[in-house]
Amino acid sequence: MNIDIKHIAKLSRLKIDDDELEKFEADMQNIVEMVERMPNIDEELTIDENNAMKLREDKAVTNKYTREELLSNAPFVKAGCLVVPKTVE
Amino acid sequence: MELYNKTLSELALMLREKKISSAELTKSIFDRIEAVEDKIEAYVTLNKENALKAAEEIDKKISCGEDLSPLAGIPIGIKDNISTKGLRTTCSSKMLENYVPPFNATVMNKLCDAGAVITGKLNMDEFAMGSSTETSYYKKTKNPYDQTRIPGGSSGGSAAAVAAGEAVAALGSDTGGSIRQPASYCGVVGLKPTYGSVSRFGLVAFASSLDQIGPIGKSVEDVAIIQSVINGYDKMDGTSQYREYTDYKANLKSDVKGLKIGIPKEYFGVGIDDNVKSSVMNAVKQLEGEGAIIKEISLPSTDYALSSYYIISSAEASSNLARYDGVKYGFRAENYDGLIDMYERTRSEGFGDEVKRRIMLGTFVLSSGFYDAYYKKAKLLQRRISNEFTENFKDIDVIATPTVPTTAFKIGEHFNDPVKMYATDICTVTINIAGLPAMSIPCGYDNNGLPIGLQLIGDKFAEQTLLNTAYAYEQLKGGFKLPTL
Repeated sequence: MNIDIKHIAKLSRLKIDDDELEKFEADMQNIVEMVERMPNIDEELTIDENNAMKLREDKAVTNKYTREELLSNAPFVKAGCLVVPKTVE
Repeated sequence: MELYNKTLSELALMLREKKISSAELTKSIFDRIEAVEDKIEAYVTLNKENALKAAEEIDKKISCGEDLSPLAGIPIGIKDNISTKGLRTTCSSKMLENYVPPFNATVMNKLCDAGAVITGKLNMDEFAMGSSTETSYYKKTKNPYDQTRIPGGSSGGSAAAVAAGEAVAALGSDTGGSIRQPASYCGVVGLKPTYGSVSRFGLVAFASSLDQIGPIGKSVEDVAIIQSVINGYDKMDGTSQYREYTDYKANLKSDVKGLKIGIPKEYFGVGIDDNVKSSVMNAVKQLEGEGAIIKEISLPSTDYALSSYYIISSAEASSNLARYDGVKYGFRAENYDGLIDMYERTRSEGFGDEVKRRIMLGTFVLSSGFYDAYYKKAKLLQRRISNEFTENFKDIDVIATPTVPTTAFKIGEHFNDPVKMYATDICTVTINIAGLPAMSIPCGYDNNGLPIGLQLIGDKFAEQTLLNTAYAYEQLKGGFKLPTL
């Protein structure tokens, strides 16, 4: 199978440089060939109804963290906000 | 006194009997780190100052006669994908080079409450993706038995540090073998607990339905002690299982009379090294000599486990790692043109090649037109693999296999061949797929003097049976031996 690396990279929000393209293509080809080895299983996926996920109650909790703590790892902060490039002209 | 080659249980007793202090012990571990870290390169970040302070605090409590956990005052290393409040947590990635978590993982709160002393953060494959710790952005950890070889991965720093005496014990995480495989390669004991028994809150997610934190130690007893501290229900983890967890160490017994051990023929076939095969079978025979009943079993879907594992884990990874966008935390590229370009450049410069491969594989198998052929099939296979284990556990108590097909390979040997690297996980991935507990314990050496691991697999939440079997074998074989460095 031919894998369109450029398309997959775009969906993955990755940029693959032209000089790396061949290597990634070859690697992905080999990996996909490896994982393709699966038998046909004529069954359907089901949900285990006896094992319902426990969801937490929808109620407000006290915030344990300060704004400064939460922003301390952000790459670009201004006036207490995360800064991203302009998206709307 | 040299303390770095002693087990956690021995040291806990010495602390309790006031033969040593935690400050002394912690200092001796950091002296050991100083002496051998250049050779092993197990740590990404050291926590010396805080560790010594914590040790002194514990010593005060000990001198007051407080009733403390056996972990109190014990220096423990932490894999660098477990969030440690105020202590850098990089996942061995450039993406998180300067990331300092504002919170502790649940396991860290449990360790700190028990009085454990944290030595630092241990090297790993980037975002736990790898089997050799070579994909770390920072350094290549060496196997303490032969420094031209890899320590295994992804918890390679954890296993190497314990084997080399750079930590009394460590925490690792296991998504497809990442605790057991390095434990096997480094001659130490590693436990991958039942999925849901240890909280994943604060473990940086790779494949959420498969990830599980677990202990690596010098002995079965050590691993039992840590597991009893870290497990338990946690409301912060939606997949955490509520149940009564026993004190594994208090219930350890080495009696295997009547224990039924299954030997799946699929785990002893092509690709399994002869040294490994004979060592594992010798271990099984020794247990038989003690009264265990050996039975050949079959797990026919094993052959397809790697496909199922790499599809499911990569699919989850592609989604989990979408959060690294250069906005909220972590690395951001310096030059970019607009928002999308910023995302793409940040991720391309911040992630290494293996992480990119997994993200792209995951994106591919989930992408339009390929879902049925890959992801759905992999999930159906997961159910089949899981059912095969369930069926077998109706008749047997424990399954014994090799942990890895071979002993530790050379640094660089498989680095440029992802498929060969993935194949080293063949004996371990099935356990994560089925959500079972399993452990690796040393069972001998190959012709090059490299450690071989015996993998024991148990039914869900049968950690005690697993630990008892391992304990029985350890009594026969003898305990931890420090490699010559």
